[in-house]
Amino acid sequence: MPAMTVLDRRRHWTGGGFVLPTILLIALVLIYPVLVSVVQSFGQSDLGGTAPYRFVGLQHYIEIAGSAHFWNALGVTLIFAAGSVPFELVIGIGLALLMNESFRGKSIARLAVLFPWALPTALNALMWRWMFNSDYGVFNAVVLQTHLASRPIDWLGEPTLAMTSMIVVAVWKTSSFMALIILAGLQAIPGELYEAGRMDGMTRWTEFREITLPLLRAPILVALILRSMDALRTFELPFNLTGGGPIDTTESLSLYAYKEIFAYLKFNSGSALVVVQFLVVFAMSVIYIIALRRRD
Amino acid sequence: MLKRRPRPILYVLVALSALISFFPIIWLILTSVKTQAGVYAWPPQYWPDPFTAKNYVAIFTKSPELLRSILNSFIVGTGVTVVVLVLGGMAGYALSRLRLRFAGPTMILILAVSMFPPVSLLPAIFQNFLQLGLLNTYAGLIIAHSGLFLPIAVWMLSSYFGTLPIELEEAARMDGMGYLRIFLTVILPLSWPGFVATGLIVFIFSWNEFPLSLVLMTQSAMRTAPVAISLYPGEYSFPWETISTATVLAIIPILAVTAIFQKQIVGGLTAGIGK
Repeated sequence: MPAMTVLDRRRHWTGGGFVLPTILLIALVLIYPVLVSVVQSFGQSDLGGTAPYRFVGLQHYIEIAGSAHFWNALGVTLIFAAGSVPFELVIGIGLALLMNESFRGKSIARLAVLFPWALPTALNALMWRWMFNSDYGVFNAVVLQTHLASRPIDWLGEPTLAMTSMIVVAVWKTSSFMALIILAGLQAIPGELYEAGRMDGMTRWTEFREITLPLLRAPILVALILRSMDALRTFELPFNLTGGGPIDTTESLSLYAYKEIFAYLKFNSGSALVVVQFLVVFAMSVIYIIALRRRD
Repeated sequence: MLKRRPRPILYVLVALSALISFFPIIWLILTSVKTQAGVYAWPPQYWPDPFTAKNYVAIFTKSPELLRSILNSFIVGTGVTVVVLVLGGMAGYALSRLRLRFAGPTMILILAVSMFPPVSLLPAIFQNFLQLGLLNTYAGLIIAHSGLFLPIAVWMLSSYFGTLPIELEEAARMDGMGYLRIFLTVILPLSWPGFVATGLIVFIFSWNEFPLSLVLMTQSAMRTAPVAISLYPGEYSFPWETISTATVLAIIPILAVTAIFQKQIVGGLTAGIGK
């Protein structure tokens, strides 16, 4: 590296000054809390911070490894992510292709994609909880009146069905986010490529398979990473849709950790839980990034 | 690109996705204008009979805490947007335009920390803010949300600054302007579309944020709208007509902003995340 001139140095000091407030806030809100959680996960203290800290080593992690409750929450989280993200991807690609066409009423289509994205996840969950209501919900009204079912269906009250319902809600809300990222990728594809394809007499399907899909690899991976990360840390969806029930079959890691910390005041073992969750999310990002590198 | 004739199937698909997207919101609004008997009727009322504004009146007269929560969301969302645009704008400018040696690693750090699961922040932030006296204060939640959403804002804004011609700054440097003055008088006036898009998205994120808002505002008078409505149902009763009405009131500002600025929001999201 060439030596810095006086001007370079001044530019770096000014630039540092511009960046510093942002770094400080991020350190306070994001970095410091994670470090504290790591420290607390190896010790014993309390949430109010009055009891002195006592180092206990891996005790909390050993407890977690032996807890059926934890393995259940981890399983729920992984099933939820594996069950929702692929559907979101397929629907997202479809929506992006639609949005990329020119047609009248484009603005309505854009809103149809944006509204689910813009809704608060917590209130969206409540909205669906009402539609899933087994006594008065609109879904049961329809299936009963059209005789698709003879008795009311307990959409959120039966284990497998509750997870399926939760996945439906997530897919409805977040496919549009996938669509927006993939749309950005679509718009970056030069039109000449398609013109060449037309000259060769490609059908729409071959055009999509041979031109569009390969060029969308990067945006699709970015979308997959972001959505999988979100799915692995899902919190307010089960919090408001099912409360984690029935019998913990929709209790995600985030919800379980939250209950341990704030309902049962297990500050330290709760911290160990969030560290484990952090590692799960981190591991998934690494897997995706390795996959991305490989394909390049 | 070659123009193709729009085909009917395209319109069918668009209509179908619009129906699926809008139905839950329409159903929510319909529920909010039904009488209590209409909400719990069998056979169900698909169309309210009669229409009533009673639920809205009831929110204003009987549930002031729900109205207050919407005001709280406005205050926090506005504060967060201002803080994030000022700090994120300066950081984004420096990181994208000042050819800093630490720019690359800093951007990666900012991206990495934005991937932390929010629940992993909760115990320490709660304890920290408790000791600092920041629980149940607007300042506290504004700080927390700002830290949470600064990473995405820095990424979006720096990618926007990257699209501006560098010659403008070089000319200003020749005139002997300092970086702060260049930022304020040359860059800012040119970048307002980037700031609008980023500001809208940050406001929506703050309005919708749940875990930190839940934990840092423990008094019902200080809760934000999503949290207040989520915690409104009693232990044994679930007054759906009130919940639906409050939800409509809490999402209308967000949906209105989204509808008015749909192009800016799509542009901002695709520019910030797509890269």
